[in-house]
Amino acid sequence: MSFFHSKKKRLGRRTFLRGAVGGSAVALGLPLLDAMLPSRTAAAEDLAGDPLFGLFYWANGTPWHAGHGAEQGAGPADLWTPAETGPGYTPSELLAPLAAHQVSVATGLEPHTEVPLQPPGQGDGHMRGFMVAMTGDRIRPEGFDHPSHTLTALRPTLDQYIAKHADFYGDAPPRFRSLEVGISGARFHDYGHWNAISYNGPDAQNPAIMDPAQLYAKLFNVPDDLVALGRRARLIDAIHDDAKGLRQRLGSGDKQRLDDHLDHLREIQRRLELTSGTCELAPAMPADSGDVLLKTATVAELIAVALHCDLTRVFSFMLTSPATTHSFANLGVPDGMHKTCHDGAWENVRKITLYQMQAFALLLDAMAAIKDPMENSLLDRALVYGVSEYGEGWKHSVKEMPVVLAGGCNGAINRGVHVREPGGNLCKVHTTILRALGIECPSYGFNGAETTEHLTGILA
Amino acid sequence: MWSRAPYPFDRRLWALGLSLGLAGCYSGGSGDETDGGATSASASASTTASGSASATAGDSEGDSDSETGEEPPLPFIPGPPTLPRLTVSQYNNTVGDLFGGPLPSPALEPDTNPYLFFNIGAASTTVSEVGVQRYEEAAESLTQAVFADPARREALVGCVPEAADDACAAGFIETFGRRAMRRPLTAEERQRWIGIAAELADGDPWQGLRMAVSGMLQSPNFLYRVELGEVDVEASAAGDKEVRRFTGWEMATRLSYLLWNTTPDDQLLAAAEAGLLDTSVGILGEAERLLADPRAATTIQAFFAQYLDLGRLAHVERDPELYPLYTPGLAEAMRTELELLVDDFISREGADIRGLFTTRNTFVNSDLAAVYGVDAPGATPITFVPVELPEEGPRAGILTLGAFLTMNAHATETSPTLRGRYLRERVLCETVPAPPDDVDTNIPEPDGEAKTLRERLEQHRADPTCAGCHAFIDPPGFLFEHFDSIGSFRDLDNGYPIDSTGELDGKPLNDARDLAGALAEDPRVARCMVTQLYRHTAGRLEVPEERPGLRDVEEAFKAAGYSYRELLLAFVTSEAFRTVATPEAE
Repeated sequence: MSFFHSKKKRLGRRTFLRGAVGGSAVALGLPLLDAMLPSRTAAAEDLAGDPLFGLFYWANGTPWHAGHGAEQGAGPADLWTPAETGPGYTPSELLAPLAAHQVSVATGLEPHTEVPLQPPGQGDGHMRGFMVAMTGDRIRPEGFDHPSHTLTALRPTLDQYIAKHADFYGDAPPRFRSLEVGISGARFHDYGHWNAISYNGPDAQNPAIMDPAQLYAKLFNVPDDLVALGRRARLIDAIHDDAKGLRQRLGSGDKQRLDDHLDHLREIQRRLELTSGTCELAPAMPADSGDVLLKTATVAELIAVALHCDLTRVFSFMLTSPATTHSFANLGVPDGMHKTCHDGAWENVRKITLYQMQAFALLLDAMAAIKDPMENSLLDRALVYGVSEYGEGWKHSVKEMPVVLAGGCNGAINRGVHVREPGGNLCKVHTTILRALGIECPSYGFNGAETTEHLTGILA
Repeated sequence: MWSRAPYPFDRRLWALGLSLGLAGCYSGGSGDETDGGATSASASASTTASGSASATAGDSEGDSDSETGEEPPLPFIPGPPTLPRLTVSQYNNTVGDLFGGPLPSPALEPDTNPYLFFNIGAASTTVSEVGVQRYEEAAESLTQAVFADPARREALVGCVPEAADDACAAGFIETFGRRAMRRPLTAEERQRWIGIAAELADGDPWQGLRMAVSGMLQSPNFLYRVELGEVDVEASAAGDKEVRRFTGWEMATRLSYLLWNTTPDDQLLAAAEAGLLDTSVGILGEAERLLADPRAATTIQAFFAQYLDLGRLAHVERDPELYPLYTPGLAEAMRTELELLVDDFISREGADIRGLFTTRNTFVNSDLAAVYGVDAPGATPITFVPVELPEEGPRAGILTLGAFLTMNAHATETSPTLRGRYLRERVLCETVPAPPDDVDTNIPEPDGEAKTLRERLEQHRADPTCAGCHAFIDPPGFLFEHFDSIGSFRDLDNGYPIDSTGELDGKPLNDARDLAGALAEDPRVARCMVTQLYRHTAGRLEVPEERPGLRDVEEAFKAAGYSYRELLLAFVTSEAFRTVATPEAE
């Protein structure tokens, strides 16, 4: 299944590998002109490689419990919080699948955003916990309507904040500023807000690519007629010109929507003009699978190759969407997960959570398997933020949000550390991530969730 | 930068919630509360705050006319314009009409349907970068397919260009541009696309034209429906707000997407050019022509599927062990049943569309016949036959049929709450607020006393925090308790006899059959249909100032015996469809 031997030599991001590797990769016949390679500064070519950021999302939190970690109360055991804090903690039952990667975890944190009383329902964790985890802010109150579960962000989610921050890519972004992928298409309901986790801002989602073949095509099927690509790029200038008259006639909201559309077109144009930055090391065309773990492994490999080839340095990976109705029938669970939580089927929620952590492990496995000549893996370069919308799904509580910080981030993150801070501000995770990635961040968090502090034990 | 609120209606809903507090349960939605003279958010809130459940009951029984009797009717003031992006189906239909013949099916960003309607998603959301890339790739692959075939490209262009800016090419840009942009190109636009064709031809005029077409297909002027109107001096002078009237070209677009879900055909564009769509008579004539075409039936079906929220049927799963009658195709059959019913109502001249909620006629395949326990000679798994449900039976109207009963139930038990909510929100256009934060919304596990789901829910309702809303939702929801999670009739729940009595706004009812009788006389049903048609058309919720215009449409609907076709004709000739406010500046 793996596209790479685990000790495969990496020749650096600007050097393209040719020929089959690991028996399953094929080389695309791209014309490769040195003069067309992006000019990157020597400083960016340090041996460790640029840091990577990933976001792994799973739905409906953890099984509920009484007491935490060492202080267990009566009732179901806490299978999430490790009993010890600090470095070298013993992984809990639910964190055991991630143990091989020495992930750090923060427990006890919760959203500190103020919840407007009106419209009612904004405290619901599916929305509040999710949005604070993603943006450090609350959901947009305007237009919120709990019965229809209208849900949108006030600002970009962390992946987009990073992908568009000058401190991260500078003026030399890779082919894709970010990738958004997903595994389960199940969603809480049909009204459109619930099957994406990445936002650029209000009503501006980045829907995840769910089909591995589509992801493959996006990453690896680049037409080789450079002149034709140039024509397509030129056409985008004319489209911009054609929109000018329209733009002046619009109200402010629609003008913003149009401007965002036109900004996206510029990004497409940049990509059409990029004659390098494609990946010569393409895996075989993947098959889709209804099996969550199989599909996760496939998509994780594609992501890992994309990171390896520097097609991108930011991704979001939505295993399941908030409040997922995904039916884990393969685990013997009769109902969708959201109802399973509501029904208080603790054992089934335990099984599902463990399974979701096994999927998380597959992503980390794929990233750990690709190493450069100095034996640094993608995971050594990366910071992968794993989070869900709840502490636990039964009571829909946003206390005790589960937070995993995986990877070494080029040494900026202490690995294998458990930080416990009951009632602590969830936005300390955001400051920790941004500072680890070298992004200027005096404080983060909004509408009551502001903090200048980071997780001191985890940020190196 | 991110402070925009796209739903002007919400401000009012908010204020309502504020005035009611957590224990109350608002029931107005799109109803009557502005009729008493309230036009601002705060005034409308205070009107509603004075009543809760009891005022609602009064509303539902009162005739809409009597409520406006004491004060002069408010003027209709159009709300702000929207800029809907073509939905996926609109895009596909449109390129199909522009090019004809077989085309590739490019993957596009999926639509969203907040407040039930894809047009609202199309008018409120921002396309993602991946979505824009898909437009670029779609334009490339569609134009490649059309221009690769010499016969096809000549048929499209109508002549053979010698150069990408010769008379043939320029003429094509002009005619194709008018069709694609749904209005004539300006001189500047014509020059732009001719110039692009010449620049990118690289010696091949066909390639130049292909690139110009590809550019037009990516232009926001094509991808978004630009309907901003022109200032109507007379109408503006009559009120204190500037009123804009849609141009003939914009009316052609509005009519075409509303009735055919595609771009205007040549005849409609010609009508616009001739000024016919500036008059009610001309609009009526074109609307009647469009409605006579089979495409109208398909488009009306799509509206009903959204209004009735049928998309949720696709996610229904049931354990065949628990429900032996649940076949793999059953949910799809339930959907087909509703489509056939809707089709029957819209195709029968003068049929009262409200009969959807009361009729004993339906269409079943053999699977559905088994669920309903009716004889259906000729029905097979793939053949639907018309049946009349028994007069003394438990069923009448779509709220007693499979689709509603199934998609508003859980996999292992029914849900009076979901069913009651659907009735409130979808059928009556009322708003049910969220449960208060941090309230346990779980239905208690059975204890010694509670035998049925109903009894468990009633225990739940004894909690005063929950009572406010559940007293509003559950009593009508209990009326459906004789129908299990796939819509089969049952006498027992959990081994105990079913009690299906309930009430709607204080009116006691025995069961769902009784409810059908009540709905037949409930003015909220038709009003809700008008409201939803308006939201679907406008791509947003209505603003309070638009209500009087919708009320006029509702009156015409009533006068025409609630024929859906007549509703559409009244609507497209109404000021609510023909005018719009000036866009808000910063």
